[in-house]
Amino acid sequence: MGSSGHRLGALLIGFAGFLAADTSHAADTAAVIDRGAYLATAADCGACHTAPGREPFAGGLPISTPLGTIYSTNITASGEFGVGRYTEEQFSRALRRGVRRDGANLYPAMPYTSYAKFTEDDVHALFVYFTQAVKAVDHSAPKTELPFPMNIRLSMIGWNLLFLNSAAFVPDPNQSAEWNRGAYLVQGAAHCSTCHTPRGFLMQEQTSRALSGASVGPWYAPNITSDPTSGIGSWTKDDLVAYLRTGHLSGMAQAAGSMGEAVEHSFQHLTASDLEATAVYIKSVPAIHDPSDEASRFTAGRQSSELATLRGRDGVKSDNGADPAGALLFAGNCVSCHSAEGQGSKDGYYPSLFHNSATGAKNATNLIAAILYGVNRVTMGKQAFMPGFGGQPTDANPLNDREIMALGNYVLTHYGAGGTAITEQQVAEVRSGGPSSPLLMLARGGIAAAAVVLLLGIAFVLFRRRKIVSRPAAAS
Amino acid sequence: MASDSSADVVIVGTGVVGCLVAERALDAGLSVLMLEAGPRVDRWRIVENYRNLPPSMRLFHWDAPYPPKPWAPHLETRVAKESEQYLQLEGPNARAYLQGYVRYAGGATWHWAGICWRLTPEDMRLKSLYGVGRDWPFGHDVLEPYYTAAEYAIGVCGPSDPALQWPPNAERSKPYPMGPIPFGPGETRLTEAAARIGMMNLPAPQARNSGVSYHGRPPCCGNNNCFPVCPIAAKYDAATALPKIEAKGGKILANAVVYRVETGEKNAVEAVHYFDPNKVSHRVTAKLFVIACNGIETPKLLLLSKDDRNSNGVANSSDQVGRNMMDQPKLFAEVELAEPLWTGVGPVQSSSILNTTQGEFRNRYAGAMFRMENFARSPLGSAAALKKGLVGKALDTEIRRLSACTARLTVEHEPLPLPINRLTLSSKTDWLGINKPNIYYDVSDYVRRSAKEYTVPRLQQLASELGATSFQLSPEFLNSDHIMGGCIMGSEAATAVVDADCRAHDHQNLFLPGGGAMPSGTASNSTLTMAALALKAADAITAQLKHG
Repeated sequence: MGSSGHRLGALLIGFAGFLAADTSHAADTAAVIDRGAYLATAADCGACHTAPGREPFAGGLPISTPLGTIYSTNITASGEFGVGRYTEEQFSRALRRGVRRDGANLYPAMPYTSYAKFTEDDVHALFVYFTQAVKAVDHSAPKTELPFPMNIRLSMIGWNLLFLNSAAFVPDPNQSAEWNRGAYLVQGAAHCSTCHTPRGFLMQEQTSRALSGASVGPWYAPNITSDPTSGIGSWTKDDLVAYLRTGHLSGMAQAAGSMGEAVEHSFQHLTASDLEATAVYIKSVPAIHDPSDEASRFTAGRQSSELATLRGRDGVKSDNGADPAGALLFAGNCVSCHSAEGQGSKDGYYPSLFHNSATGAKNATNLIAAILYGVNRVTMGKQAFMPGFGGQPTDANPLNDREIMALGNYVLTHYGAGGTAITEQQVAEVRSGGPSSPLLMLARGGIAAAAVVLLLGIAFVLFRRRKIVSRPAAAS
Repeated sequence: MASDSSADVVIVGTGVVGCLVAERALDAGLSVLMLEAGPRVDRWRIVENYRNLPPSMRLFHWDAPYPPKPWAPHLETRVAKESEQYLQLEGPNARAYLQGYVRYAGGATWHWAGICWRLTPEDMRLKSLYGVGRDWPFGHDVLEPYYTAAEYAIGVCGPSDPALQWPPNAERSKPYPMGPIPFGPGETRLTEAAARIGMMNLPAPQARNSGVSYHGRPPCCGNNNCFPVCPIAAKYDAATALPKIEAKGGKILANAVVYRVETGEKNAVEAVHYFDPNKVSHRVTAKLFVIACNGIETPKLLLLSKDDRNSNGVANSSDQVGRNMMDQPKLFAEVELAEPLWTGVGPVQSSSILNTTQGEFRNRYAGAMFRMENFARSPLGSAAALKKGLVGKALDTEIRRLSACTARLTVEHEPLPLPINRLTLSSKTDWLGINKPNIYYDVSDYVRRSAKEYTVPRLQQLASELGATSFQLSPEFLNSDHIMGGCIMGSEAATAVVDADCRAHDHQNLFLPGGGAMPSGTASNSTLTMAALALKAADAITAQLKHG
């Protein structure tokens, strides 16, 4: 009896232990899912994989690249259409090597060259989150069909051999833990280089010019190295944290285009310590100076107005006259919000047009893009909105290329970098989605096709060499 | 697809009513062609027109930034010679029908205040409840879903607190799409003063974006020139709908002055005819026609279109086309105050007192809406101070005082639909040779009694509660720019022009939605009701064309 009671007691204790283990396992899983969700936010997966007004992560967002339109894929837990049937290894291979479950290569519009930095632990958290916590959406996203030769996904094998650094992040023991956390986020999840690092002929990131500025569709991701003139060396750590949290830094810059999305969907949701770590690392990025930059883009221009020369000159008219001057376009389209002298509003909601990176940069791309596409960014539940003037059906004041050229040049001359002149062709290019890759132009002439064949050749040789090298090991 | 000469639906007029019908018809898969008499002008050019006006023209001349084309004349308040005016007015209260609509693509919403009051259930049953005016052929519950749809279509901001919503006694099916615009200092003072004497100043629902963008239009930034033009389209106007209509496949022809509606077999409408700016006539056919030119231009066009089948004009077997012309006869008082009020922060109108519009007294005299204009007073203050011959610091001080310590209080009276108030064709013609509209207007004893016994004493009381040191009442009734009647709605073909869907009783494929159809004017702004009627008509139109 005694012994059986003892056994029963042991059984009960064991059962209780089992229960406790089960709860703590559930708690563990919940914590992993939370961390995966946080990492998915830090990596801004939704920026591309969630189309406006559609279910989260169901894909289908058209991404215009210099090589053509790429559609983001469904990465929900759906077995048939998403990543539901991926093993953790397959998931990791897609995330960090750009290879799908079926073995096909992804295009580097998916920033797997950055995500390669993810640690095994973080990949695990992301895997658990996407396969267990994200609601399955059972429909497929539109198929990406790039023009020849980019439609040959195999060509990416060669590209990856040349340009994919597959090593996970290795902390630098000579730097602080904060710096290392920042470096891990910036190089990995936040994939800053995807937009801010210029790309070479084959669309690879030019690591020697890391974060020194590059075109992103119709926008320009500026130099964010520590150079005081060309980069953001003049910003304090707090400036940078405030910018990442709100997308706005009075008298300096505001986030629009894909940076506006990054702030809205990703940065504003990061912890204070992660934003600070990010800022610490970004401020340490080696300065890259553009010799043609004479002054910082944050200090150009001054408060001024030419209204006095306009008033009463033209009477009231009932026609859309041809070729209005820049001053007139500025008065009619800009001053209602940005004020007659370009100083913006006192609360900073309407930015000043001088001391503003969009007007102070020598490259006027962001000024043109802001006029064409406007700004729409929500942070901390507050919206920053500027309407576009590019002729979308919702734009109240559609302007043509010539008018935007005149307006842009007026703004540059009076409030911005001066010295630069916007051309009608430049406006047309930004309107059409930004510069296209020379690769594509060459492809049409057949030269890039030859380059792709060459790449495949190199890949094949490298692949064979690897096989030869690894054969003895495989044999043993 | 619509061509320049044919479509499933041809809509005459590109104002809020025409545009709402167009968008609904396009959404239902119908082809749409819109004909607009006036020009289509860039918003920023109209903004610059306004800013280039001499100071004396910048207030109270809302038409001035919209110079009319010779082929599409409208009222020009800056033209001194009344005999040359487009609108021919007569009767004891001719001045109270000086309607300032513009004939531009986008219509009169270009310079509306954006105020979006709903009618009360009582407003729609004047005859049954008070023995005056007419009843609507349907109840408030039928209109309510269309009110809501209209608020979402044009983007109306308003209070979420039911105690601040109007009407107080009818449920809303959905909240306003946006929260209210906060009061400026002047409106806050007015609200407090009014409450002390039993007048409830409510935040006005308005088609203006409050703090957020709506349908791609930016939030209000407080330029305080909603009329004559919102420079950034934070306020809805139908001009903002035009590119959307085109994006949906609709066609818009500007400078196309429709002058005749042609009928055929079974008295169906077969075509409309328009003049281009070269005075060349064109014929346009459709399965169904919508005349959406509001309460003056629509009846004018119908009266112009006499033929063998319709000797009184199209849609006029009842002889009611052009009759029952309504607008709220308005009185205002210029007041000076001991303390600064500071109107001018926020939109030009942003609140109103409406509990004064309702009551059993409506069997004897008109209900009325009281409000304070919220435009910035600095141009008026500057002109008045200069007139006093002041210079230097004394001038600055006086400008500041007059800008801060003056206000305009307004009262708008409910009109009744009276057949005697009538639009006819003038013998005078315009540039194209088309007869100008002539309107006889008498505000009637119903309104005069209200002013004498009710509204003017209340206005004085309100002014004194605000701390007024002087009170100067306008010498006569003025217009409120809310054109109603003219194509009045009713279930009986013998006494009304259109049915409950704004379909002409005489022509099954002709719709006349808008203010002209409203059987009661009431004291509040008419546009939201016009928009709701447009959406109700659009439902009937698509049902008729889709399912026969």
